[in-house]
Amino acid sequence: MRILVVEDSPRLQRTLGTALRNSGYAVDLAGDGEEGLWLAQAHDYDVIVLDIMLPKRDGLSLLGELRHRGDDVHVLLLTARDTVADRVQGLRLGADDYLIKPFALDELLARVAALCRRSYGTKQSRFIIQDLEIDILARTVKRADQPIELTAREYLLIEYLAHRRGQIVTRTEIENHIYDGQVEPMSNVVDSAICGLRKKLSVASDAPLIHTRRGLGYVLGEAAAIR
Amino acid sequence: MKSIRRQLTRELLGATFALLSIGLLALYFAARDAAYDQFDDALRAKALAISTLTIRTPSGVELDFSNRFFRGFDDRKPRDFFELWDENDRPITRSESVRRANDLPRRTGKLDRPARWNLELPNDRAGRAIGFVFKPKASGLRDRPNREVQLVVASDREELDETLWQLLGISVGCGVLLLGGTLWIIPRVLRRGLEPINALGEQVMLVDADSLATRFSSEQMPSELQPVARRLNDLLGRLEQSFERERRFSADLAHELRTPLAELRSMAECALKWPQTRDPETADRETLAVAKHMEAIVTHILALARGEQGQLVVKREAIEIESLVQTTWQQYVTRAAERNLSVRLSLEPVTAFADAALLRSILFNLFDNAVSHATAGGEIAIVLENCPTGASLKVTNPTDDLEPDDVPKLFERFWRKESARSGGHHVGLGLSLARSLADAMQWTLTATRHEERTLTFTLTAPAT
Repeated sequence: MRILVVEDSPRLQRTLGTALRNSGYAVDLAGDGEEGLWLAQAHDYDVIVLDIMLPKRDGLSLLGELRHRGDDVHVLLLTARDTVADRVQGLRLGADDYLIKPFALDELLARVAALCRRSYGTKQSRFIIQDLEIDILARTVKRADQPIELTAREYLLIEYLAHRRGQIVTRTEIENHIYDGQVEPMSNVVDSAICGLRKKLSVASDAPLIHTRRGLGYVLGEAAAIR
Repeated sequence: MKSIRRQLTRELLGATFALLSIGLLALYFAARDAAYDQFDDALRAKALAISTLTIRTPSGVELDFSNRFFRGFDDRKPRDFFELWDENDRPITRSESVRRANDLPRRTGKLDRPARWNLELPNDRAGRAIGFVFKPKASGLRDRPNREVQLVVASDREELDETLWQLLGISVGCGVLLLGGTLWIIPRVLRRGLEPINALGEQVMLVDADSLATRFSSEQMPSELQPVARRLNDLLGRLEQSFERERRFSADLAHELRTPLAELRSMAECALKWPQTRDPETADRETLAVAKHMEAIVTHILALARGEQGQLVVKREAIEIESLVQTTWQQYVTRAAERNLSVRLSLEPVTAFADAALLRSILFNLFDNAVSHATAGGEIAIVLENCPTGASLKVTNPTDDLEPDDVPKLFERFWRKESARSGGHHVGLGLSLARSLADAMQWTLTATRHEERTLTFTLTAPAT
């Protein structure tokens, strides 16, 4: 899950980045509206956390521009303005959710998680794929009832694959959703991450879960159809 | 409670009643007098006819009277009566109609101004009489004197009275009808006439703090109410502006305080949730910075509020402005150097009346603004001059990002050019505070943007 945070207060930027990364998201940060718009267009984000009062281009105009270009990325507006008119304006322009400063960090994380689930058209908080069980809220993974310890990025990878289970996921898509601007993705970074994940998953059971489609990408579980 | 409609109804009805009564009574009395005059004329004609038939002969006074010509005087159906007396008040003759009864009452005037009065006739009916003395025609008197005789002629006036009663009845009837009509019409006319006042009252009742955008359309109102509506519109406009200002101010204040609060809260929550990510040194410095920022907001807000509520105590004393400018500027030398700003100070010796503390506060804000927002590497010019209109201090700095539209907003509370918004200690209140302090001292503070992309703040002392 890759998240863009557009926020002009450096301190909030820093804490939001820390909190989201620690929660297993890939996070990009932007300090003004122009940079935010540029990043939003350059990458395929799952959720954008967007402040309204921004230098250069305000959040509402950024949101309007994104929607105007047909981008339906999920947007969580973050603002210090609390009047009904402000909220209504934000939601009318196409925001998916709204949070008023100061906010509880847990609430922000829960809302971001909910928007991520909506990105993949599911409201479930738990995936069961064969003998693999992923609890999105607790961020735990079990195989054959045996807990599996994963790093934040490995968890991110398995959750992303689970969201798109049965579909072929390309390396580029994985790169886009798992790695933020802080990581320079090498050509084999996805392959080695998949390799590491397979190794941890095979401890509990030998049955293969992540299948490789040569020249295309990877599939978690059984592919519905291979085109 | 006093009501215009009730009062007008009462007074109009009273006035109409009085006018109607007076008018109808006057009409009645005029008609009655005219009828009596006519009646009296007829009586007089009869009396004159009788007087011309009266002749004094040596044997006495004779009346050549015949009931053939005066049918009313006979005793069958008497309508007219007369009686004639000689100079010694002895009755000479009287009409047949009188004969059966007593004498007529005697009252006499001159021939040209006879006495006239109402009386009860010998047949017990109401009548009217005239009486006068005259000299009868003389016949063969020779040297004997022709004395005056007295004549009273009376007529039955009951028919006239009946007509007059009818007239009175018609007058009263008309009066009652007119009064009834007035009673019906006046309240309705008044209600219709006062409708615009009621409508205005109802509209005014609907105005409250949430509907200050309401305006009364004075064009459709009667001219008497137009000034009221215009005045109300003016007042509403001013109220709306000040409500809007207050609303914006509290919204801005909430906004300005929410951001540092959000920073503090998320920093603390992050540190509690993931203790390993907390860098103690940075965290404490950040917390201090946020606290200072909030402190600056609160201090400025309080100062502004005091200034705007007129709670500032302004002491006026003669101050050497140039030395105050010098010492205040000293505190910004280092920060100016950090941003590679050069400074041109051109200070004439100027003494003006001001409050030293307030003036210093204004200078701090002006210099802080110049040092913070001047284009890096540019020149700040601080010029103090003695002008005939009063001392003036001009602080000029180059500005890259300020647009002409921004100039009026410079003194608005919490306004910052976007790029400076989250720049740390700037809360966007310094210039509005400076202006409010200047106002409190009755100095003026204005801002001008020049074509060559420089911004000048001019602080002017009032001429002494």
